[in-house]
Amino acid sequence: MNQPLLSLQNIWKSFHGVPILQNIDFEVYPGEVVCLIGPSGSGKSTLLRTINRLEEPDEGELYFQGVPQLHSHTDVNVMRTHIGMVFQSFNLFPHLDVLANCTIAQQLALKRPAMEADLIARQYLTKVGLEAFIHAAPASLSGGQKQRVAIARALAMNPTLMLFDEPTSALDPEMVGEVLSVMQALAKEGMTMVVVTHEMGFARQVGSRICLMDGGKIVESNPPQAFFTSPQHPRTQAFLAKLLR
Amino acid sequence: MPVGFLEGVGYLLEHYWPLFLRGLGTTLLLAALGTIFGFILGMGLATLHLIPKSPQETRLQQVGRLLAKGFSRLYIQIFRGTPMMVQAIIIYYGAMRLWGSWPALLAGIVVVSLNTAAYIAEIIRAGINAIDKGQHEAARSLGLTYGQTMRRIILPQAIKNVIPSIGNEFIVNVKDTSVLNVIAVTELFYNSTSISMTFYRQFEVFFITSVLYFIITLLATAFLNGVDRRLGVRSVVGIPTSATVPFPTHREDPQ
Repeated sequence: MNQPLLSLQNIWKSFHGVPILQNIDFEVYPGEVVCLIGPSGSGKSTLLRTINRLEEPDEGELYFQGVPQLHSHTDVNVMRTHIGMVFQSFNLFPHLDVLANCTIAQQLALKRPAMEADLIARQYLTKVGLEAFIHAAPASLSGGQKQRVAIARALAMNPTLMLFDEPTSALDPEMVGEVLSVMQALAKEGMTMVVVTHEMGFARQVGSRICLMDGGKIVESNPPQAFFTSPQHPRTQAFLAKLLR
Repeated sequence: MPVGFLEGVGYLLEHYWPLFLRGLGTTLLLAALGTIFGFILGMGLATLHLIPKSPQETRLQQVGRLLAKGFSRLYIQIFRGTPMMVQAIIIYYGAMRLWGSWPALLAGIVVVSLNTAAYIAEIIRAGINAIDKGQHEAARSLGLTYGQTMRRIILPQAIKNVIPSIGNEFIVNVKDTSVLNVIAVTELFYNSTSISMTFYRQFEVFFITSVLYFIITLLATAFLNGVDRRLGVRSVVGIPTSATVPFPTHREDPQ
């Protein structure tokens, strides 16, 4: 098999003495769509945020494209331009219009000229179906539209890895579908993705691997077919049993 | 000078209007420049206070960061913890002792600026802290540096939100620059005192003075409410209280 795009080794993280991640080993290969599921407080979001170092682990090493990131003088900002992130609460920049939301980081972090950034931003906004809203203020958009702008904003950086932190949890039920279909299309194109989600349907259909987390550990990691039909670990069985009820 | 109140006021306005107006001009100059320079210095103080801890911080960086933060805290504590009247005397006569005589008006501008900086630093810091931390995370996740995040994402939002409070500082300064009469800055209060010394008719003189202060603060309030409405931020309600009482919009952090 080829090189993992991302590799976390022996990652430990605690907040105020409470262990959140306990000796995590986690690898993501190019083209994979890894879905992290599990109960609240199990460490899914913290694991995701450790990948682009919004959280700094206490111990362990993080390799991105084979390069160690934590115990070296690599620039965290360079790695972050290669890793897109989509948040539960969208976090669009409210003082910028939709287009500027998608160009500002291209210009500041990638030093792309304004014209080029503009072109790329429009291309991705079209892709998420929002070409008609490029000059709208984020506040005037619906939740689903905001999240699609957030996805376009991340994609405009041409990342090699996309992180999604419960991207549909803050949405009205009617708007979940439009965001999931954008993500599904992205997965189909071969984008490498790590998705923290409670959407089991999405995990099952789109995921290439499902990881169940509990108590700061990855309990089980398997392709969806095996994960949902013949779960190995008793914790997975209990989790799935609750879902079905 | 006539004996009656209204006649007295009329007499004073007729003969001393240039002195009142010049005093008012100086007061406005002090308040405006003090607020502008105070804003610039206050930005600097707030920045020093908020220098972030980087994950791979060297010992030297840590010492520098803590010193900057300590300086900012001490500065704010001192300037908010002593009356501006006392600050004026210390700065004016202190500098005179060290470097020789200097113009009182310049000293006045320096004092108001330094004093206002302490209040505005706290306003800006509260404004920055009030911005959702998701904004910071989103910007950093896109590869923006801390500085770029602050300048392009956080500050534009924070400043817009605190413009009403900065406007309040200007209005407060219009009133509080009256204390600069102790170092003989010829602002409105000082000139009023001079006029009243001529006739010993304090009531009539200071009636005019108070009306002038009131008109200015009223106009400034109306102007600022207009600005706030245009910016779409919450509006100022009335004329604020003195700067010597921390303003309720300042969010104090527990220390």
